[in-house]
Amino acid sequence: MLTRTWWWAAKPGYNVTVTNPTDSDLVAAALAGDHAAFGLIVERHGRNVYQLCYRFTGDHADASDLTQDVFIRAYRSLRTFRGHAALGTWLYRIAVNVSLNRLAKRSKVSPAGTRLQQLESLSRGQRARVASDAESPTETLLRGEEAARVRAAIARLPKKQRATLILRVYHELPHEEIARILGSSVGAVKANFFHALKNLRKLLA
Amino acid sequence: MTHLSDAELVDAAEGTLAPARAAHVERCASCTAAINQLGEALRAAAAHRDVPEPSPLFWDHLSARVQDAIAAEPRPSPAPLAWLGDIRRLAPLAAVAVIAAALWSPVSTRWRPRIDAPRPGVSVAPASLSGDRDQPVDAVDPKTSEVWDVLTAAAADLELDAAHDAGMAVQPAAIDRAVQRLNADELNELGRLLQTELRRAGN
Repeated sequence: MLTRTWWWAAKPGYNVTVTNPTDSDLVAAALAGDHAAFGLIVERHGRNVYQLCYRFTGDHADASDLTQDVFIRAYRSLRTFRGHAALGTWLYRIAVNVSLNRLAKRSKVSPAGTRLQQLESLSRGQRARVASDAESPTETLLRGEEAARVRAAIARLPKKQRATLILRVYHELPHEEIARILGSSVGAVKANFFHALKNLRKLLA
Repeated sequence: MTHLSDAELVDAAEGTLAPARAAHVERCASCTAAINQLGEALRAAAAHRDVPEPSPLFWDHLSARVQDAIAAEPRPSPAPLAWLGDIRRLAPLAAVAVIAAALWSPVSTRWRPRIDAPRPGVSVAPASLSGDRDQPVDAVDPKTSEVWDVLTAAAADLELDAAHDAGMAVQPAAIDRAVQRLNADELNELGRLLQTELRRAGN
């Protein structure tokens, strides 16, 4: 009886039960040339990678391109993944790097910056007046605007602070894992997070 | 007690501050205010955690695009320094080889290029048993000179070229000097060890 199914070894005509392969199993299979195994890695981690890229770029098209780029880079350097960290952590690390590189290439007047200025032009009075209304399309719009304002403020943080805040608040990763992703210490991660929150508060004031 | 550090303020805002430090916060308005401000920013950020969900077809398209891209890629190449891992595993063996080279090379180079070592029956001056390291090798007792034959036999089996090829640097002059500094006791002991090893190798 198979206690663990090496699903990629299954061939037509063989009755092999497919169980839940671990990430390490999938990496080993992909290294052996099985593209379907790598497809499962994409399926398993694609959403988290996309969401991380989206939080950096604030744009679906960019996030989509970057997500594809992350997995292609991951495939090319799959042999360097030695399993010391979780595959998800490794993919996050690639995603942070490609996202920050993409942002660095953008023009200085970024869409996020322009958007922030537009949102800041919305007066506090206007926001308060709309917020006092009952649930309405306007309020829904305002909530969307507020979310965009927060995203724009986060986009203005220095990149390490931004990465730390995104990984901590939105992906709820422990400080230790963020340290592994960013290649720094837990103390540095906490210090970055402290400054990120402090600066965010100023930007949102 | 000192105020909370930045990292401790983060811990406090996240509710994971050590109890010992929490006692300070209860008495410190400054730290309490800092924690509240961090908490306010944290809540503002966390309130907008949703990422717009792409179309349901997006994930299939993403998988297909990645599959197409990697289909055109060569198989993932080995890590540039992956061989270092193998070298590390061979480290103990390499250490043994180095020690072996250090033990054997004096013997080999002493007798390969030079054949003026004392022979049994050749009259030489009695050896001093004082253990004087400066005692020249020619002063070895004739009774111990059979050691030379053992050493010669051992050296005959050693392939210096192979040692060189393996990267073991052998400097004959230095080795000669090292052997010549052996006193009679050391020479006898070396011969005994070599005889033992030769017998073992012959079995």
